[in-house]
Amino acid sequence: MKKWTPYLLVSPYLLHVVVFVLFPVVFSVVLTFHSWNIISPMQYVGLANYERLFKDRLFWQAIWNTVRFLLVHIPLQILIALALAELLNRTRRGAGLFRAAFFLPVIVSGVVVTILWQQLLSFNSGLLNQLLTAIALPRVAWLDDPAVAMYSIAVMATWKNVGLYVILFLVGLQSVPEQYYEAADMEGATNWQKFRYITLPIINPTIFTVVVLSTISGFSLFIEPYIMTEGGPMNTTLSAVMYIYKQAFQYYHMGYSATLGFCFALIILFVVVVQKRYVEQDI
Amino acid sequence: MAEVILKHIVKAYAGGPRVIRDLSIDVKDREFVVLVGPSGCGKSTLLRMIAGLEDITSGDLLLDGQRINNLAPKDRDIAMVFQNYALYPHMTVYDNMAFGLKLRNMPKDEIRQRVTRAAQILEIEFLLDRKPKDMSGGQRQRVAIGRAIVREPKVFLFDEPLSNLDAKLRGQTRIELQKLHRDLQATMIYVTHDQVEAMTLGDRIVVLRNGEVMQYDTPLALYNQPANRFVAGFIGSPPMNFLPGRILMVGATLCFQSAGSTVQIGLNNSIHYAALIPYEDRTVVLGIRAEHLMDLVMNGQRPYYSPDTRTVLEAVEHMGSETLAYFTLEGQRFIARLSGDTVVDMNKSIPLFWDIDKAHFFDAETEQAIR
Repeated sequence: MKKWTPYLLVSPYLLHVVVFVLFPVVFSVVLTFHSWNIISPMQYVGLANYERLFKDRLFWQAIWNTVRFLLVHIPLQILIALALAELLNRTRRGAGLFRAAFFLPVIVSGVVVTILWQQLLSFNSGLLNQLLTAIALPRVAWLDDPAVAMYSIAVMATWKNVGLYVILFLVGLQSVPEQYYEAADMEGATNWQKFRYITLPIINPTIFTVVVLSTISGFSLFIEPYIMTEGGPMNTTLSAVMYIYKQAFQYYHMGYSATLGFCFALIILFVVVVQKRYVEQDI
Repeated sequence: MAEVILKHIVKAYAGGPRVIRDLSIDVKDREFVVLVGPSGCGKSTLLRMIAGLEDITSGDLLLDGQRINNLAPKDRDIAMVFQNYALYPHMTVYDNMAFGLKLRNMPKDEIRQRVTRAAQILEIEFLLDRKPKDMSGGQRQRVAIGRAIVREPKVFLFDEPLSNLDAKLRGQTRIELQKLHRDLQATMIYVTHDQVEAMTLGDRIVVLRNGEVMQYDTPLALYNQPANRFVAGFIGSPPMNFLPGRILMVGATLCFQSAGSTVQIGLNNSIHYAALIPYEDRTVVLGIRAEHLMDLVMNGQRPYYSPDTRTVLEAVEHMGSETLAYFTLEGQRFIARLSGDTVVDMNKSIPLFWDIDKAHFFDAETEQAIR
């Protein structure tokens, strides 16, 4: 009995890992070599799914769409979060209020935020276009113009998530000892030089964390285009996850969907490793 | 030339008490002045005001005759070594030292020259490529000093730079700082709470308490002629012993009488003698240093006035070169510094002789020295 006690104690967690992590991962890898529509039995198809993937232009467009999203979303998120954190760090009065205000969108349901922004960005009655009209500028088809739609979504996603990164950056900024700045004051550094040569390098680990977190969360972009544009116009907002979802639950191509998911996971892994190589610096 | 003058300096925080109250001192060119005092006495605040890191509420801060109250820290031509060194963790030693020079757009060759020269002076050339985390406390400390040296400032400020080092290293670094001061021929202002550091480093010492100057003088003057009871108790290790009592005239001789004994105050003690006459029948505090309490071994060279102090020791510390004996006299904690040869039997009382000529007397109310 004694010998089994430790195993008994870890068994709930082990069960969780086996059922919800290990089994799905193994099963989805197995799935990639099969054709399956949930109802009829699985059929072994060898590498057919992988062959199809490389020829699937829509998948690569979805990947490209996601990359376009990230290229706007990540820099925007970091810049805004860092700027807000820096301001908050200097704010004495009402800092708690602002912190809460910036963080609020993070805890609001993504569906609610998306519907809210759908109203804001509406072509005919949206607040944004009304503002544009008010200052005699032409209206913009924020969600209907293929060249603009994905970027509108990127801005919206930034608004939703930026609060989380503001908090992370704020923690980073507050951990920089005041003496570094005082020493720099004595050396004659301007505010910008202090920020560039002291703050930025010292909070580099935080920047790296934010880049990785927002890359991973950005890659899983789904709710926003699913509700706002359903991947349109002309598939320009079709994100990779959304395409995988469609293959699985609209077309019931479970095997192919698993193949897409598997490749997509490899792509994310590759990107994060590259980021680790180039963004993270040892201090 | 680098002469620093503080005139009627006041520092008060909004809604708070005055941390520095009407303080005036002058630091001469090439002088090494130490600000010393217990924690909370305002010494660091004062240093930070000279550096420009704290505003001056009122008064004048002059550097070579020019008022620099409102000058930004970088324009004051003053360098500071921080207590925790404040070395930038992501930069190598070279970059740390070169940072300020780069900000001033100094040509690269000159930066290299200056950094190399400072590294030579401090013997840290082999550290130039390392980062702060890969160095010991003592090495970081040198780098922090190096960063100040390369600037070639008019005035160096040190904020408790040795407090993070172990005792042995502190001793070594003290000597090196003295040498550095001689070599650089610069004006230095140094903050510490450690009176040994103050005594060994300072040309002159400012003893601070609650934002006020208690005494500003050379180390020996502070030791031999403390202006008040605070300085007498603060400077010197072990601290001075104090005993309250009364001044009496017995026959034609002035005496100090405490609860247990009466001591004649000899005419040898001439400075005190005249000054003590008005204190007849009044309470005073006698102060006597540990080395002026003697056992028989040291006695016999000169006649000593002695209260009948046969005392049982509470603790004895044999240091080799000297023996510290702890005892209580009329409720006051006393320490005597005896000869290293003294063999003490803790169970027997021993006679202690007082070199009363070396005693100090303080007004019981104002705590000012009577002389």
